[in-house]
Amino acid sequence: MATNPMHQFHVYRIGPEINVVGVDLSFTNASLFMLISAILILILLLFSTKEKKLIPSKIQLISEMLYNFIAKMISDTAGKKAKPYFPFIFSLFIFILFCNMVGMLPYSFTVTSHIIVTLTFAIFIFIGVNILGFVIHGFKYLKIFVPSGVPVILLPMITIIEIISYLSRPLSLSVRLFANMMAGHTMLKVFGGFVISLGLIGGWLPLGFSVALTGLEILIAFLQAYVFAILTCIYLNDALNLHH
Amino acid sequence: MSKVLSFIILFVILEHRLFAAEAGMPQLDPVYWPSQIFWLIIIFLSVYFLIAKIFIPKIEDNIESREDKIRKDLEEAKSLGEESEKKLKTYKDLIKTAKIDAKKIISQSRQKLSQDMQLKGKEIKKEIEKETENAQKEIKNFKINSINKINLISEEIASNLIKDIFGEDPNKSSVKAIVNEIMKGHKF
Repeated sequence: MATNPMHQFHVYRIGPEINVVGVDLSFTNASLFMLISAILILILLLFSTKEKKLIPSKIQLISEMLYNFIAKMISDTAGKKAKPYFPFIFSLFIFILFCNMVGMLPYSFTVTSHIIVTLTFAIFIFIGVNILGFVIHGFKYLKIFVPSGVPVILLPMITIIEIISYLSRPLSLSVRLFANMMAGHTMLKVFGGFVISLGLIGGWLPLGFSVALTGLEILIAFLQAYVFAILTCIYLNDALNLHH
Repeated sequence: MSKVLSFIILFVILEHRLFAAEAGMPQLDPVYWPSQIFWLIIIFLSVYFLIAKIFIPKIEDNIESREDKIRKDLEEAKSLGEESEKKLKTYKDLIKTAKIDAKKIISQSRQKLSQDMQLKGKEIKKEIEKETENAQKEIKNFKINSINKINLISEEIASNLIKDIFGEDPNKSSVKAIVNEIMKGHKF
């Protein structure tokens, strides 16, 4: 059991079984760590917005830097029109970031290492962006599949490629995050297992790898949250400002 | 190093069976998929609403109030700078007019002073002339008086001398006439 690197991804029920119309909605360890991440986010934001100083304290600076960071990201990729979706992007980024970071703690559970979680986000974003696109541009939104300035002969092929790439967006978005998280944590677990089983003599090399990988994983945890948020911004940009 | 590597490889070969034992990814097991979706939606939505309704307005308020304060301070500094420039200008003007006034006053007073001095000089001159005239008169009077007195004294001396020498009183009028005769020969 301990040596199985996939064991850490197991989901099990905590507390009573909640069954709604034959669907099991029990509170699981995944739900617990979602809740922990959410609570940590709220605690951080609560403390960092408690004071309102002209010269911000260090903790107040965190919230303001986060705000400016995401505001800049959105205005760089999606322009001014994306301002109403700022709270969503902000929540998305900070939630994924905290889930990833909480997952870096030993013996914790990485919520984002489950395809169903990332897929839920991705499908929600995909549907939302489509609705936005059609509401704003009507059927002209379909122009997104027909890039301008392409020779007529190539147009059918390009359109098909565009459609496929557009439809694979939720899949690529979700798999990117899920696979990164899963691979990183599996690798950490494998090297951790090596440290124990190789013992005092051989365990130092995998231990070094583990330490290095932990640093890399923290970087990836941030980077993937950023990538997820920025891709959401880019999709939003397509819906808001039809460029093709 | 190669020894350690071979150890690892050997370990992987030996333990491969264990990794394979619980094959498959728990992520693909759909038992708890509905639960995960359900709780994700609930938790994420609550986080979203709290952030959107409470925290982002607060942060925005913080940042905006700071920017407002900075903008206001800058504007105030600008207006104060303009005001001080204005004040400096009025100050300079004031000094300029004061200098001109002072020059005017100085020249006026100089003129007045010279006029006064001329007037006073004239007065003094007049007075001096008067005084000298008086003095000359007095001297003249004194001269005349002193001549008369000398005449009298010499008459007396002469009569006394004559009395002592001749033992009889001389004729006063004749003595007077003789003295007058002698005195006429001398000029004072």
